[in-house]
Amino acid sequence: MISILISAVQPVTPEGIIDRYPNSYNHFVLPFVIGISFILVYLLIGLIRVLYHLTGEDRIKLLKSLFIPKTALKNLKDLFCDCLLHTKIWKRKPLLGYMHSAIALGWFLLIIVGHLEVYIFAPRHLEGITEGSLYYPIFYRFFIWINPAHETLRGTVFFFIMDLLLLYVLSGIGLAMFKRVRSIALGMRHTTKPSLADRVALYCLWAIFPLRLLAESFTADLSGGSFLTKPMNWMFKAFFGNELNFMPTWWAYSICLGLFFLAMPFSRYMHILTEPLLILMRNAGLKVRKPRKGFAEAEIYACSSCGLCIDACPMNSQKKNLKYSSVYFIRFLRRHNNRRINEIADKCLMCGKCAAICPVGVNSPEIRRVQRETLNNSINYDYSYLDSIAQTAKPENAEASAEGKVLYFAGCMSHLTPKIIKSVESLMKASGTEWEFLDKDKGICCGRPQMLAGKTQAARKAIQANKALIEASGCKTLLLSCPICLKVFKEEYGLKGIEILHYTQFIDRLAKEGKITLEKGTEAIVYHDPCELGRGCGIYNEPRNVLSAVGDLKKAPKERDESVCCGYSLGSMTLDEKDRAKIAEHSVDNLMAANPDCIVTACPMCYRAIRSKSPVPVKDFAEAVVENIKPSKTKK
Amino acid sequence: MKNNILVIGGGPAGLEASANLKRLGYNVILIEKDKQLGGHLAKWDRLFPDGVSARQTLNALLEEVSGVNCFTETQLQSINVLDKSYNAILSNGITVLADAVLLASGFDLFKAEKKEEYGYGIYEGVITNADLEEAFREKKLPSKQPQAIGFVHCVGSRDEKAGNPACSKVCCATAVKQACEVKEVYPDADVYCFYMDLRMFGRHYEDLYLKAQKEFGIRFIRGRVSEVAETADGRLQVKAEDTLSSKPLRVSLDMLVLMAGMRPSESGKTVGRQLNLTTEEDGFFSSADNLLEIQRSKLPGFFYAGACTGAKTLPDTLHEARSAAIEIDRYIKEKFSEK
Repeated sequence: MISILISAVQPVTPEGIIDRYPNSYNHFVLPFVIGISFILVYLLIGLIRVLYHLTGEDRIKLLKSLFIPKTALKNLKDLFCDCLLHTKIWKRKPLLGYMHSAIALGWFLLIIVGHLEVYIFAPRHLEGITEGSLYYPIFYRFFIWINPAHETLRGTVFFFIMDLLLLYVLSGIGLAMFKRVRSIALGMRHTTKPSLADRVALYCLWAIFPLRLLAESFTADLSGGSFLTKPMNWMFKAFFGNELNFMPTWWAYSICLGLFFLAMPFSRYMHILTEPLLILMRNAGLKVRKPRKGFAEAEIYACSSCGLCIDACPMNSQKKNLKYSSVYFIRFLRRHNNRRINEIADKCLMCGKCAAICPVGVNSPEIRRVQRETLNNSINYDYSYLDSIAQTAKPENAEASAEGKVLYFAGCMSHLTPKIIKSVESLMKASGTEWEFLDKDKGICCGRPQMLAGKTQAARKAIQANKALIEASGCKTLLLSCPICLKVFKEEYGLKGIEILHYTQFIDRLAKEGKITLEKGTEAIVYHDPCELGRGCGIYNEPRNVLSAVGDLKKAPKERDESVCCGYSLGSMTLDEKDRAKIAEHSVDNLMAANPDCIVTACPMCYRAIRSKSPVPVKDFAEAVVENIKPSKTKK
Repeated sequence: MKNNILVIGGGPAGLEASANLKRLGYNVILIEKDKQLGGHLAKWDRLFPDGVSARQTLNALLEEVSGVNCFTETQLQSINVLDKSYNAILSNGITVLADAVLLASGFDLFKAEKKEEYGYGIYEGVITNADLEEAFREKKLPSKQPQAIGFVHCVGSRDEKAGNPACSKVCCATAVKQACEVKEVYPDADVYCFYMDLRMFGRHYEDLYLKAQKEFGIRFIRGRVSEVAETADGRLQVKAEDTLSSKPLRVSLDMLVLMAGMRPSESGKTVGRQLNLTTEEDGFFSSADNLLEIQRSKLPGFFYAGACTGAKTLPDTLHEARSAAIEIDRYIKEKFSEK
């Protein structure tokens, strides 16, 4: 896009623009040159490191993805929306979004337009490093003298644009300073404590743009300026009388830039440079394989340490658990603080809310899971029961007639909540669905709890055994009532030719196909999005479609991908019962704000947790549906 | 002038304390929210360890309280702390100026439907300990001979997820007692007890346990029940773990009895809220001191007896009732002697 723009504007050598310094060099550029050289070298080494730690397969995948048109288009869109516009933050907190896009997009455009200006008016200086191409465009306003007699319209337009952009960035910086004092004003209850490098980089960042304004104002009468720099130049002249002040400000400007780049790799601001890499890797479909290397390293450095995840984390309904937030997990991982890493990795409920709201999209629950994999696992599991259950899979089940049948897998949690199974059974009857019950008497764990615990090998055993049972059944549709199972079936089983459905999807389909007719009651219902179903599998609409047909569906203040975890997720290894109870209360408070007659959820775990704290009746999704099925007279 | 003492709760603790306070010469006002006095004792059939009739035991307690002002179907409407005494307004409109108050609000049984995996309220064959006692008392046991019966210990006790990590003290002995009684009625049935460990701490409790094994052939399985499902022919399929053989176990039963544990009573909580009485983490009221002043609360002149300060057996409850009477007597004498 930029190259098209450039080719449209042919470079000229206007006679009125003269280099004030014959060599186009002044000592003050040194700090900036050191800083920028350091960060460029650091970036290169970092990039090589990250790529080196990827598996060969992943490297090829990443390379290939760059040339797939669809992915490349998505890359461009994500780079623009996430890195520059910050649309994700805009959506959640507009003021915070404005602050970020002002600094990111504003700065980016300053650099681009600055280079464009040099390309048009002094193209010689972009020709190579010896001509000062590294620093000249940054300090363009210092090095040139514009003969006022030769000012052009084009030049004036550039002056205006540059001043406007500078003002844009400054407004963002102003907000950033205000946010430090009062974070709540920008919609953040908790924010992170900055480290030393963070502080250095932060204060430099704050200083860079005001200093730039000062510096360019001091030289505005020589090198030109617009509505911002020109009036300031006149004002300074009136106050200071001479032009000697401009040297120290240009020095200060350069030093701040240099210092910022030097502090950058050790500070949160590394996210500015890492995020583009993360976007490319994510869009290529790479997965975290090691908790600190390869893809994970890109994620760790892409974390902006903004702390949005602190407010989002369900554990933080109690202040003492603030320390388990993802931002601190990433921070300790970055600093190789192993003791703390494992503690934090184990506590997490894996609800995924931090990843859902993360402005850079760091999937820290996945890193936590992989971190759990690294722990010593010396327990010898007894898998003998798998064989005894596998023997019950009779080959004669695999009849041709089984193809149209629905295979229901209840899973352990549905078995612990018999109401759900009863409701599913009556639903099958009411809709006239032909079905088989895979784990009525004996069942094998779906493998998700082991996956969450980082016991991937143990999970593989269960997955393998279950997969064989499902394939032997001959059914082509697999129905699940537990979203915990659903996620692992979808992601890890690789069942070819078998459709995997959650009962919310299945019931929605039955209703749409007219196999069941729902009667609209008057009850005010609020729906709780289970983590594994919503954020985990992206199923938000189907349950709502059905529930709005059986009652008056209300909205909870926090719902869909912002839904509050019930606290009883299988994800946490060490969170104790009291903390879980507190989270459940918090989750119920959110639902009760909608003032419902009953709460409906579609996960046996959530159902039990919410029921233990809810002042109003709690129903399972299938139960709520079965209560409202209109008995049809023409049963086939 | 006789000092007025208000006793809240007409179960064994309230009855025994009232009787003793009356004997000590006080004017006792006893209130009970139910129609009849006796609390859970009135709903029970027989008592461990000897299998004596609950009715007879209750009658003995009731005889002692003749002369006490008993108001049944009466609750505390409001209570205020005055300078030296308490001003209580009862739901029957009577106002009592009491120099001391004894709270004997006891316990509620854990709501077994909360442990949905056991299927109480979902499957017909699943009942609680209280349901079984009622069936014995009303002679309403199913006439159809069951082939197998199970007892689940610790339902809502020693279970952090159910919100109660504490032991309810009476369920082990009750389960063993009930298992023997059921076996007497249905001698051909297999009877199982699923337990974590048996807490047969009282006198003769261990004898009861041995008798259950030797004479009645009750089968004790160490391990918790994980879930209950219904089989196609309407029986109950129970999945459990036998932790002694480290094997999962499944049995088909016709009846499953859940040993619901003790939770703080709702009526006690209402009184607690009015006076801001402190409770401990388990929800039961906190005594002034857990060794020396179990009967005293932190409010002067307000006392506790029985299961309102934690799960207790019947003999323990009766001891507490008597010592509460002595404590109240001492308090009144110290506070009002100079008058």
